Amino acid sequence: MQAFRLNGSRILEIDLHGDAVRAATGAMIAYTGDVTFRNAGMGGGGGLRAALKQKATGESVSLMTCSGQGTVWFAKDAMEVLVVELAGDTLKVESEQILALSDKLKTDVAFAGLRGASSGQGLFTTTVTGFGTVALLSAGGPPIALEVSPQYPLVVDPDSFIASQGQLHQTFVTEVSWRNLIGESSGEAFSLRFDGSGVVYIQPEER
Amino acid sequence: MGIFEQVNGKVVAVPVSPGREILARRGAMLAYTGNVTFSPVHMGPGGAGGMVGRMLQGEQVAMMVAQGQGTVHYGYRGLYITLIDVDGSGPLSVEADRLVAHEAALQSTVVFLGSQGGIRGAVRGAVSGQGLFTTQLHGHGSAAVLSHGGTIAIPVNGMRPVAVDPQAYVAHVGQVTVDVSASVGWRDAVGRGSGEAIQLKLTGNGTVYVQASEQKL
Repeated sequence: MQAFRLNGSRILEIDLHGDAVRAATGAMIAYTGDVTFRNAGMGGGGGLRAALKQKATGESVSLMTCSGQGTVWFAKDAMEVLVVELAGDTLKVESEQILALSDKLKTDVAFAGLRGASSGQGLFTTTVTGFGTVALLSAGGPPIALEVSPQYPLVVDPDSFIASQGQLHQTFVTEVSWRNLIGESSGEAFSLRFDGSGVVYIQPEER
Repeated sequence: MGIFEQVNGKVVAVPVSPGREILARRGAMLAYTGNVTFSPVHMGPGGAGGMVGRMLQGEQVAMMVAQGQGTVHYGYRGLYITLIDVDGSGPLSVEADRLVAHEAALQSTVVFLGSQGGIRGAVRGAVSGQGLFTTQLHGHGSAAVLSHGGTIAIPVNGMRPVAVDPQAYVAHVGQVTVDVSASVGWRDAVGRGSGEAIQLKLTGNGTVYVQASEQKL
């Protein structure tokens, strides 16, 4: 299994020893050695069913497989990189915030409730399952990890949500009232509520 | 050895004294102390050839020289600044846009890439959108170079050619040759490529600087 190293806070460095890693298309900034890049399709899993799902949901993270011998550096739009380890659990993530992930991890697309409609990210979210490492992107500055416990549910802005990990129940909160109709809203009409126990990662910038 | 001092990721400070002038991009001065004057440099040290190059380049960046006695702070549009020392073992090649300041002791020339690699050099310029000209700094001294999101330095040596995404390439220093390598397959033609079809291949001895983003300045 590869080590995901950070070179500074915005560049991810991965050594390949004949194995492979999947990364967001076009995110390679440099490499040494003998590495090939191949389109790995979308992050919605494999097969025809996934392809159909992809078409239907519009949740499209386009990934490439990097394989061979050498070192590869990845970065995207000067966003900060966050490395998350998965040990058999599931990570729910905004597809466009994925930088790279271990090849063994499974990706799928899951229904995310009405949340997607407001955040413009589509109604579906990408799930990553298995054993391995995921590198996520945070726009506008370093990401923040917020802990959720049964006593303390968490409410976040859908536009700054990056990913969530753990036993979490996600609900969509609307606070639309007559104020919104007359243009007197606080700008926070839609939010995401997490109950249970786990970790939610957010970024300082709103999409 | 460099006389530039990094104040933070985006601002550098440099002392100026008679005989140690600093050339900088016009408008990049943030603050200064002491008795320093700034005057425009019309024709760079490249001489007539340089001027022709500049005219053809079309993206030539107007420079100014800081003279006198004092300390000047430079920064530009909130972009990250990387300090690079040139120690005489090889020139620093950098796109004119990215050069924010350098010691006047460094000789700057505009190099037509075509002379470096024939038609391939020209292709490289067209592909990476860098124009066909690049600025080279020779001699001993240091330079401040702009990047989006900061840079990492990757060593290049004989056994270890480095491939770089043209959009993420910032600069290189040393005895390094740059070549464009295209591995365009049928997948790219049908829009199923990996997005990494065109790369710059660097060989030789030196260092290449790569930024954390695929955005040009």
